[in-house]
Amino acid sequence: MSYKPFMKKSIWVLLVGFSVSCAPTKIVAPLEEGKVQVGATLGRPQINTGSLPLLGVYAAKGVSASTTAYGSAQLSSALFGAIQLDGGVVKGIRPSQGFTPGFSYSYGGNLFVSSRDFATRIYPEAGANMFWQKGPHILNVSANSWVDPTWFLAEYGRGQILAPSFGAGYRLRYKWIELQAEYKIVNPTREIQVPQAFVPSTFGLGGRGLYWGAAINF
Amino acid sequence: MASCADIGSAMFFGGDGDYDFSNENLDAAYQIDESKIHLFTVPSDEDTIHGLFLGDFSQLENDTIIYYLHGNGPSMDGFWSTVAVLANLGEQHRYGVVMYDYRGYGRSTGNTQNAATMAADYDAVLKWMEDRGLTSDRMVVMANSLGSLPAGPAAAGGSRIPVKKLIMEVPQSSADVIIQNATGLSLPSSMITEYNFDLGQNMEDYTGELLWMHAQEDKVAPVETARGAMQRHNGSYYREEVYPNVGHGLRWDIGNDEWTRVIHEFILH
Repeated sequence: MSYKPFMKKSIWVLLVGFSVSCAPTKIVAPLEEGKVQVGATLGRPQINTGSLPLLGVYAAKGVSASTTAYGSAQLSSALFGAIQLDGGVVKGIRPSQGFTPGFSYSYGGNLFVSSRDFATRIYPEAGANMFWQKGPHILNVSANSWVDPTWFLAEYGRGQILAPSFGAGYRLRYKWIELQAEYKIVNPTREIQVPQAFVPSTFGLGGRGLYWGAAINF
Repeated sequence: MASCADIGSAMFFGGDGDYDFSNENLDAAYQIDESKIHLFTVPSDEDTIHGLFLGDFSQLENDTIIYYLHGNGPSMDGFWSTVAVLANLGEQHRYGVVMYDYRGYGRSTGNTQNAATMAADYDAVLKWMEDRGLTSDRMVVMANSLGSLPAGPAAAGGSRIPVKKLIMEVPQSSADVIIQNATGLSLPSSMITEYNFDLGQNMEDYTGELLWMHAQEDKVAPVETARGAMQRHNGSYYREEVYPNVGHGLRWDIGNDEWTRVIHEFILH
């Protein structure tokens, strides 16, 4: 008999909402000083043959010509009983000029709090962006890593200190609106396992997904 | 936040059950006499649990019974061929076998939600067996995959008939491991569910005999963490069989001969 009852499609996809970096890189090129951006992000990590939307909201403000601060909340996590917030800054190193790319880096932190037992986890993160900006068009290649200072709390020695992600995307920043799309490879340093589900990966490691964002500038 | 959803219920893939337990799809060596196929129901809290007993009722009073806790398939239908093999270990109709559908699986009513519903269903069926004469020294509990979730706490002292022989086939390890393997982060399971099962702790508290069978390439219940949980066993006898180059559907992958050999040796140990 060939029936294997364990291989059916899973909705454990919801778990992936907690995967690192399940949103497009919020700010690639720093905002102009005083400019405020409020947006929503839609992550669609791939699992099995589909995905579920993972919704978040964020706000960012250009606090100087080269520094933008941001904060966000993952709404999908809240649905399942976890408060997931993050905040940080993006600092421009140099702007994009012609075919010469611009560079920026970011750092911040991610907070998870369980509403069930108030278990708390904090994960600092840092990243770097290379971008080309031509008028309203911005192309970016980004690398980011979360740091797990409580990796030793993972059971059976499965913890890891770094959880990196890599992405490439496009965003249209035109007047008061910004649209974002980014493809990301998430956590390629380990095998992501979701029970009774197939997680598309790169060489058997990590996960991947397409992430969208829309924001208003004012 | 108190009303937030619990992803625990999303773990359970209950579905319809035809309960067409016939010999049509069984190998000749594992067929079951129709007079030995018994469907029954028992109450569990406000719900009704549907079960299957293979054997003669006299076996419950005086012979070894395998209490099989099935995996995460829609119903007992998907495990019919498995329990038929178990009933015929060693010789035809050698063992009585009991299996049931958890709430929300097959025709069992309600929904499986957490450790409490799992434990209640396990106990309801066990009481049915206890009322018919089953005793601890003649009971073997065998758990496949999801079945390890109720089996662990039962073996750790939560069983009205104490468990002395336990077979864990491709078990999970803990709820924390599941979220940590899915995220790559040290997140506790309480971020998404109240169902904080911990089979490693259960094995520490279990004093009886344990056979652990697993697949090296298991993507549903990773062998590394299952090993960590099972090797915490602190009981009287421990045996592990881990098979290379096979997956979570262990019996299908290693074949009935090897599967039955190991299980029968353990039962007779």
